[in-house]
Amino acid sequence: MITLTNLSKIFRTELIETHALRDVNLQINEGEFAALTGPSGSGKSTLLNILGTLESFDSGDYLLDGKSVKGLSDAALSQLRNEKIGFIFQSFNLIKDFSIYDNIELPLRYRGLKAAERKQRIEQALELVGLHARRDYLPAQLSGGQQQRVAIARAIAGRPRILLADEPTGNLDSLMARQVMELLEQINQQGCTILMVTHDPDQARRAGRNIQIIDGQLHDSTMYEPLATQSA
Amino acid sequence: MEQFIYYLKVSLLSIKRAPLPYALTVFILSVGLGVFFANATFYYQLNSDPLPGKSDKLFFPMTLIAPYQCNDCRPPRALSYSNVQKLAASDIPSAQAAMYSSAGYARLTIDQPPTPARVRVTQRDFFQMFEVPLLHGSVWADDNAHNQVILSRSMALKLFGRTGVVGESLVLDDRNFSVIGVLDEWQMLPRLYDANGRNHLSPTEDIFLPLETGYDLNYLSNSYSQTYDDTDYRQLATEGRSGALHQLQYWVQLDTAAQQHDYQQYMQSLAEDEKAAGRHPAPINNQLVPMNEIVDYFGDDPGDIKAFALVTLLFLVVCLFNASHLALNRYLSNQYEFSLRRALGANRSQLQLQMLADVLLMTVFSLLGALLIGYAGVSLMNALLPQNSLFSTWDLTLITALILAALVCSYLVTLYPSLRASFGSLNQQLKE
Repeated sequence: MITLTNLSKIFRTELIETHALRDVNLQINEGEFAALTGPSGSGKSTLLNILGTLESFDSGDYLLDGKSVKGLSDAALSQLRNEKIGFIFQSFNLIKDFSIYDNIELPLRYRGLKAAERKQRIEQALELVGLHARRDYLPAQLSGGQQQRVAIARAIAGRPRILLADEPTGNLDSLMARQVMELLEQINQQGCTILMVTHDPDQARRAGRNIQIIDGQLHDSTMYEPLATQSA
Repeated sequence: MEQFIYYLKVSLLSIKRAPLPYALTVFILSVGLGVFFANATFYYQLNSDPLPGKSDKLFFPMTLIAPYQCNDCRPPRALSYSNVQKLAASDIPSAQAAMYSSAGYARLTIDQPPTPARVRVTQRDFFQMFEVPLLHGSVWADDNAHNQVILSRSMALKLFGRTGVVGESLVLDDRNFSVIGVLDEWQMLPRLYDANGRNHLSPTEDIFLPLETGYDLNYLSNSYSQTYDDTDYRQLATEGRSGALHQLQYWVQLDTAAQQHDYQQYMQSLAEDEKAAGRHPAPINNQLVPMNEIVDYFGDDPGDIKAFALVTLLFLVVCLFNASHLALNRYLSNQYEFSLRRALGANRSQLQLQMLADVLLMTVFSLLGALLIGYAGVSLMNALLPQNSLFSTWDLTLITALILAALVCSYLVTLYPSLRASFGSLNQQLKE
């Protein structure tokens, strides 16, 4: 589903060049739940942003569903983000004066879906994250864990094939973090491919695969036992 | 449409988020536009065509038939009574009228306190030529002297408290006149028929008096006049008609190019005859200026209004820069939201539609502010420049132009900041 070939990313300033990613080769298959781990500044978030087309790359290639994203126009990249990719950010990134419903509706608006279909999708997503009763709340009226569940609802309402999560539990306590992880696992079991940046080795272990990045290079790609087998 | 309403809702939420900087931006834009509107109102009214479709058929003839020796001089703005008589002998024009402005005091009876009145001394064709609407009665039957006046609507209301006063009498400077007509609401803007007055924003006169009566009763011109001898023309009745007192402005209506050509020929022949008779010592220099060129011909475009126009335009530019700077700060503080929307799938075109919603709201708010400030500005200019102290309503053309100006300015104020915000780094903004 995702194929990276010799992908490199360099950040340049007037004085220095920083190689954020060097010749990354990676294959991620449909339905995988992969964790991206590594020390701070190793390039995890950069890789995730490139996969989410939020950032460009300097060399190599990135194929999504067999098609290169290189050279796509702004409109094509936006459409790709809107239809195929869902984002979950560490700091939730909810619009504070929009209701929960309006926040989840945001990506659906730009897809041009009719109001009835938007409503149906939002309600399904809210049911899944267990926040249907709070659809008219503002983000500030929810706990951190609930806000992250809203962000997850927003990410999945568009029924994306890939979910990119950048430290989704980074701002949560352990109980809420566990709830969010369970939710992500549930979404993955429904067939959605998930790539998650994390510092937490336990969470990395819960994902089916651990992709480690050090100094911008892919070092290890550990396959764990599937979650279902572990619990059995 | 539903999506655009959504964009408007988002814009309103964004305003609610930081109302003070937004209000300041709108205020600065409103001040710039309002001051510009005020001046544009005067400029527009001064430069508009008061008689579209007819102003190129009304001509102002001028000739140098005067006891005055000069080379390369232009003919005076006004004609003498005898010049008018000679020009009026032609039957080429479809209509013709001589006139001048004067002043008097009017009242209903001699024991009442007098009311100052602006008087236009003129002839019957004046009303037809300048399309003056009559509410009641009629104009004079001919161009002879009559103790009959025509009143403006406001003067009829002021003196009688009503407009249906045909047949009533009044006292004008201790002489009795009967009212034969009352004008409907009428204001020619710019008031170009008063080519000698140089004040084209003045209100319509209160009382219209026959030309011959004006001469008989010694009503002297209170605007431009010129004499070429030492005669005491205060005795207008006895000296005014024969002497070299030039106080009459004269208009002729020439509907066709053939009429205009024939009339120029007529003026040329008249000047040659006068020269032969020794009454035209200067070289022949006749002018026949159409109404729509009269301001340019006399160079009467007021310099103060032009200077104001330039200053207000520069002021508007400064306001645009300031408003744009404030808008940039606002947009940059909202850049996170732009980036989030882009990350979630909005393309730049969709963000620009959001910007158009912002522009629309800013146009509405700044237009309202600008109209208020513009109205205040016009009132202030009326107070500071009493000679221009007339402000009629904003007509549809002017309102449309003002709306367009507000729209363009709002767009300019919003364009750069929104482009900056929509081209920011997605990743960086979402991390912050």
